[in-house]
Amino acid sequence: MSTLIEIVNPSYLLFPALLGTLIMGLVCPLVGSFLVLRRTVFLGLTLPEIAAAGVSFTFWLQQTGVLPQLSQAERTIGMIGSLVFTFLGMGLLGYLEQRGKGPAEGRLAAAYAFAGSLTILFMVFNPAGQIEVLNLLKGEVIALSKAELRLVVGVFGLVFVAMLVFRREFLLTSFDRDLAFLLKGRQVVWDVLLYLLAGLIIAFGVIMAGPLLIFGFLVLPALAAKPLVSRMSSFLTVSSVLGLVMAFLGFYSSVRLDLPLGPTDVALGCCLIFLAYGVRRITARTFAVLIVTCLAISVTACSARAPAEPVPEAKTINAEEVWLAKVKNSTALPLLLPSNNPLRSLAEMVGKISSDYRQNVMDLLRENLKTELAQKGFQISLPEEQDVRFVAFPTDASAAARMAREGKLSGAVFASEIWRWEIESQKFVRVLIDFKLIRLDDGAVLWERRVQGAIPTPSATNAGQASNDAVKAIVRDLFAG
Amino acid sequence: MKSQQDVVAIKSARGGHSEEESLPLVSLDNVSLGYDSAPVLNAVNLAIYPGSLIGLAGPNGSGKTTLFRTILGLLAPIAGTLSRSCPLSNFGYVPQSAALDPQFPLSASEVVEMGAYGRVHPYQFLPAREKERVKEVLQQIGLPQLAARSFFSLSGGQKQRMLIARALMVNPKIMILDEPLSGVDEESRRSIADLLTKLTREKGLAVFFSSHDLEMVQRVADGIVRIDKGQIWLDERKARLHP
Repeated sequence: MSTLIEIVNPSYLLFPALLGTLIMGLVCPLVGSFLVLRRTVFLGLTLPEIAAAGVSFTFWLQQTGVLPQLSQAERTIGMIGSLVFTFLGMGLLGYLEQRGKGPAEGRLAAAYAFAGSLTILFMVFNPAGQIEVLNLLKGEVIALSKAELRLVVGVFGLVFVAMLVFRREFLLTSFDRDLAFLLKGRQVVWDVLLYLLAGLIIAFGVIMAGPLLIFGFLVLPALAAKPLVSRMSSFLTVSSVLGLVMAFLGFYSSVRLDLPLGPTDVALGCCLIFLAYGVRRITARTFAVLIVTCLAISVTACSARAPAEPVPEAKTINAEEVWLAKVKNSTALPLLLPSNNPLRSLAEMVGKISSDYRQNVMDLLRENLKTELAQKGFQISLPEEQDVRFVAFPTDASAAARMAREGKLSGAVFASEIWRWEIESQKFVRVLIDFKLIRLDDGAVLWERRVQGAIPTPSATNAGQASNDAVKAIVRDLFAG
Repeated sequence: MKSQQDVVAIKSARGGHSEEESLPLVSLDNVSLGYDSAPVLNAVNLAIYPGSLIGLAGPNGSGKTTLFRTILGLLAPIAGTLSRSCPLSNFGYVPQSAALDPQFPLSASEVVEMGAYGRVHPYQFLPAREKERVKEVLQQIGLPQLAARSFFSLSGGQKQRMLIARALMVNPKIMILDEPLSGVDEESRRSIADLLTKLTREKGLAVFFSSHDLEMVQRVADGIVRIDKGQIWLDERKARLHP
């Protein structure tokens, strides 16, 4: 439950991301409902892919020097490409529709495949920017800043108001074009407006949240709402509410269980559809109760873990000495810190490390652990100073105890193993690390903790600083009483 | 039988003689109509007067819907002159219910409300007087109890009557109904026919409806316009010709 309280707190670092996701979850289904009813769902899939091609294209232009390099405005540049490609794509699809050549599904399928291939090709042309493009297309909404949130509020707010104001016109044009013409004149105005609004949220949404999540928000809540309602007004309301549920539950699960947001939300949206068709025979009220119950169960299940215990005090474990093992790296990545790391420069200056040595995350973590353990009253020793075999100390308790006995060590060993360390957008680091305090006499695990999730690093301006901040945050959390 | 060059003009069966009733609501003067410049009907001369109940009879694919779409301004005439004495928003159009997409989650009352959309500004909620009017027209067609039901769960006859109610919401001067009697049971046919007769007799509306069933048209309409093989003519067995 603490995570739930934490993420809904406005001071929470990821609160803008939560708000952004909720806004998208609220507004996208309003537009998506009409795409579903007009049987143009595939347009909701194709346009985000076209927008993604636009993002990839602008980054390639930047690499070739046609566009200026603005490292602080990655999203802005991507957004321009996304907008231009989306509206060009819509214009072209509209023109082909007018000419009526070939089936609409065929045109959309070809456009989807073409846009997908362009996205990859532009990335291949631009190897230097591949990671940035991939990050943007992954749509880490979790890294949404307050300025970007204001943009989301502006754009999606505008679309929301337009959808409410013109709901009758959109309905009439979608349902009975002949009557729409008799009562409101040329319906092409309403078609253009509807697709303009769709294009707007797709172009902005793709850069903020990625094509998968935007497609999911557009289509899945509307598909889930359809079997539950028999009125258009209820359809729009229920779609939006289900979009909100999908957004909130997805965000919560993503933070709590350290899952990527886009796929988590989409998987939840699909579950909602199955649930809706499964319970279509029961009343709307019963369904609402069911949804609330599922929400409560999910939140409770996610929160069911016992609160994490901090590292115990030295006197409570009766260990004379704690051996701080080297941190094991199981990520298959070197996890080296950048050479311009200021910590490294300081160490070099005082002659503690050679100039060809590159510090890594494991060393940084061990340094921080050493300081904190000492403050807890532990007498810290480094096993490799006792015996060179202890350079790699196992994290398995019984293996660690056996090895320690062979080396005639006594007391306890503090072992750590990094399974995941990914720096994303410098604003947070995704980690998975196991920590254990093992008594060497009998191999008993005196304390253990798994740290998993996105560690916010809001003030970091480069990857090295992000790693440094994340290490400090993790160690602080381990020792917090 | 008249040749297609003659003016097919049908006046009110009530025999009204006011100045308004002496002007045709719609007149087609030597009009050719069709799709993509390929005429389906040539040299159509037709005038529809207030208070007339006209049936348009012809086999499937003869051009009945094309004629209706041209009158409603949905298709531009290829040649000739088409004139209307009232705006298009005074035309109550009843399409074939099968032409509407059943995947829209709409209640019957929501479908009927659509007839008022032309009078309601986008930023407005549906005014109370329009909601009252919905109740009135549902009463008029005799189905007020079905207002909350899903439109596409209704029977063919009920759907057709709901679409007539929607057309009445427009406050029409003329109603154009595309095959309103096809695909409905006998009781619904009688009910719809009675309703159309009542609308012309009591409200003075002009009603122009189509059917491929000539016998049915003869039973219901005051005047019958026949259409077949690119030609249109007045069936004199029932109609009174305008001089």
